[in-house]
Amino acid sequence: MTRETETGHNLWRMLAPLTIWALHFLACYVAAAILCAKYPQIADLSPLRHLIFLVTFLAVAGVAYIGFSTLRIWRYSLDGDLDYDHDTPEERHRFLAHVTLMLCALSVIGILYVAIPAAIIGSCR
Amino acid sequence: MSDIHQGQAHVQDAQTERLREVWKNPVGWRRFSEVNNSVIGHWYTATAFAFLIFAGGLALLMRAQLAVPDNDLVTAQLYNQLFTMHGTAMMFLFAVPVFEGVAILILPAMLGARDLPFPRLSAFGYWSFLIGGVFVCGSIFFNAAPTGGWFMYPPLTTDTRQSGIGADIWLLGLSFIEVSSIAAAVELIVGVLKFRAPGMNINLTPLYAWYVLVVAGMILFAFPPLIVGDYLMELQRAFDWPFFDPKRGGDPLLWQHLFWIFGHPEVYIIFLPSIALLAMIVPTFAQRPIVGYSWIVLSALGTGFLSFGLWVHHMFTTGLPSLSLGFFSAASEAVAIPTGAQIFVLIATLALGKVVSSTPLLFAAGALAIFVFGGLTGVMLALAPFDFQAHDTYFVVAHLHYTLFGGMIFPLLAGVYYYYPFATGQKLSDHAGRVAFWLMFVGFNATFLPMHFTGLRGMPRRVFTYPADVGWDWFNFISSVGALVFAAGFSVVLIDVLRPKKQKADLDGNPWNAGTLEWLAQRDESFGMRTIPIIRHRYPIWYQKNFVQDVREGRFYLPDAEDGRRESLVTSVLDAEPEQCARIPGPTFLTLFAAIFLGATFIFATYHWWISTLASAFLTLATILSWLWTGTGEIPEKQFRDIGLQRRVPLYRSGPASTGWWAMFITMTGDLTAFLSLMFCYFFYWTIHTDFPPGADGSGTYWLAGSACLVILAWTSTLLARRLNSAGYPTGFRSALYAGAALGILGVVAMLAGPWFSKMDPTANVYPATVWAIVIWVAVHTSVGVIMQAYCIARAYAGRLTARHDMEIWNVTLYWHFACFSAVVALATLVAFPNLT
Repeated sequence: MTRETETGHNLWRMLAPLTIWALHFLACYVAAAILCAKYPQIADLSPLRHLIFLVTFLAVAGVAYIGFSTLRIWRYSLDGDLDYDHDTPEERHRFLAHVTLMLCALSVIGILYVAIPAAIIGSCR
Repeated sequence: MSDIHQGQAHVQDAQTERLREVWKNPVGWRRFSEVNNSVIGHWYTATAFAFLIFAGGLALLMRAQLAVPDNDLVTAQLYNQLFTMHGTAMMFLFAVPVFEGVAILILPAMLGARDLPFPRLSAFGYWSFLIGGVFVCGSIFFNAAPTGGWFMYPPLTTDTRQSGIGADIWLLGLSFIEVSSIAAAVELIVGVLKFRAPGMNINLTPLYAWYVLVVAGMILFAFPPLIVGDYLMELQRAFDWPFFDPKRGGDPLLWQHLFWIFGHPEVYIIFLPSIALLAMIVPTFAQRPIVGYSWIVLSALGTGFLSFGLWVHHMFTTGLPSLSLGFFSAASEAVAIPTGAQIFVLIATLALGKVVSSTPLLFAAGALAIFVFGGLTGVMLALAPFDFQAHDTYFVVAHLHYTLFGGMIFPLLAGVYYYYPFATGQKLSDHAGRVAFWLMFVGFNATFLPMHFTGLRGMPRRVFTYPADVGWDWFNFISSVGALVFAAGFSVVLIDVLRPKKQKADLDGNPWNAGTLEWLAQRDESFGMRTIPIIRHRYPIWYQKNFVQDVREGRFYLPDAEDGRRESLVTSVLDAEPEQCARIPGPTFLTLFAAIFLGATFIFATYHWWISTLASAFLTLATILSWLWTGTGEIPEKQFRDIGLQRRVPLYRSGPASTGWWAMFITMTGDLTAFLSLMFCYFFYWTIHTDFPPGADGSGTYWLAGSACLVILAWTSTLLARRLNSAGYPTGFRSALYAGAALGILGVVAMLAGPWFSKMDPTANVYPATVWAIVIWVAVHTSVGVIMQAYCIARAYAGRLTARHDMEIWNVTLYWHFACFSAVVALATLVAFPNLT
């Protein structure tokens, strides 16, 4: 059995984890910017910080979901190997999945990095 | 030789002759009508290097001025022009265009294509770049150059008494050049995705092409915010609309946001294509495939995305909330991960290969050393508390030059030495190359290493002189000597490139014994590839049997040009299956004229000669329409083309299967980014003011709501027209388009009537100014949509748009999806948001 051309993992799916990183980054930045610009004297940032933790949890969960569903690709192989260096649709599919998986790891690191300031900074100043 | 072989040789010669005839370059004064990628690529690259030399000359003048304390070689005013033009020319006229030029030059051969999908667009981009660049650089000879620094911060640059015409030249000249960057981005993305040789699945694509894809994508998201910034600032300078004037509700910080949303990704837009050259060079001299191909793809994509989360690290000292600084500081640290991964991949490839010593590799090694150093000071500066100390000092100047020389200049020079035989058939001198490298490497470090210390000792950037007793003298003197040494090294390269070379070295096209496809292109033939090969490996020259011979003898696709047309293959995005034979347009003067008229539009606007501006804009439109009418959407004389090896593919495709549709989609993605940046400004003002918007019903609510409905109806009509056309109702198609155009015009009138009848004065306050800026933006876009509808009607009457050959209406409908979305979001915001707050 061989894979049909243009089926399987594609470029949009490859970009999904990084897109989640971007949306998470934007959400954190916009929420903090609006709150701190509208209420510069606000003393207690905990609602904002909890919101950021929640968004972070959702983002990590989303990336994890993509990551684990991508992992399944290694459980069965249509061509009997796990290479991704040849000119077949199956190996192209596996290659994109491999890159996606690594991007998932990078995106989770990026998302957690961005959440660190919310864990340690408690005021708008 | 047998008769059969003789017969084959005869056939091959006849095929080659036909290809030559079809791809013949125009000669004499007609050379200016050239569109072929190999010629345009040469011009583009050479012009970018000319601007590099110009900007480098300015840098030497600055170093001469700073060599000793209290120097009076140049005046403060001239010094301001020097550093502004140095940064501006290096960034906008060298670093980005040279990427485009090199990509246009080498990408088709690398992908196994005969040209890029839209060669006329490349030519148009080149002429725009040349005209805009000469205009901007020329200003310094009339003492009229911009003086506000390359990032043009208001309020200095919005003050027309302090900044003069120079700021207008910067804003309009560079907006014009940004058009050419976006044109190149469209061309390169479609090229990488749709013009790869058959069998070159996306996992076999050369790494350079991956980087080009990422960088061109970044251009689409990075340049539009700057275009919006230019738009707003020019409105303020020309018409006194107070976007950046705090007295009337504006905010200078908004410019900083718009500039750096562009400016930080820009650094990576410059860096990634140069690292891409190293990813081609290093495997060749390690004589083995790259180690960790997928890691490079990962890091290119990762860097591309993360680089958009860094812009505020240029604004750490502007008083933003520390929480916000934290986000950007964290992202600035995170981007070091994918950036570092690329460096490790290159080092690992060298470590595991059998390294062949050479000049390109020497430059590559120097690049890595310098870049790592610059990267480490970058990690320091990404820490906000350290940045507070070092901000606007020479430490930052040192850091940015280490990253740009290590990440851009040295890799690019490695690329010059590596690809010179590809571009000209001759090799540069190895001996001179080594001398040049060491002069430049030593000169560079002597120039910029001391700047770290002058910076830490408190010397601010952009001062035209300094007193003798503050401990900066010796460091500055060493920097100036270093700059001279560097310039000497660069001169060696320049002389080597320009000197006439005796031996027309027959290098068999592949002097470095490289494995990638571009080394197969025939330099002395303007068609490039003798035939479009089937690719089975990332390094086909190394690993595919008889590959070079088979290509040279025309044993793959499209070995002939029997229809007398320039052709290349369009393949599918993921697996590169042949989908279409694309007819590529040949030489024309229209692209040159379009660029001249568009340039005139911007240049006349600089001097506020509005009638000439409007006349030039009209001529630009007319030229572009005539270019489209004569050069695109041609109905072929037959449906299918035999491309060889028993395959037949269609000659015409429309909708998402066509390259034109994708070009429109990509262009509109960039346009949408610009629109969203404009809306960002609206909400930015909302966050900083309690009275923005000032209250309900401020801008002609009913007019705007009505306009939104009309635009939606115009869009629906366009959509309906496309369906009617496909279903074979030409009359219904034309009627729907007439209705759509009428509704579109009414929509434009209604949206302008809103703020007009509400007597909104854009000079009074930032709110009316913002409303007008958004309404004008949407009105222009809707008007362009109406012109497109009219174009389709005309094409239909001329018999050039039929039920089967309907590319134009597909592309116009796609435009309308975006235009309608923008109009609805803009008008809904203007109508509803004042009532919500």
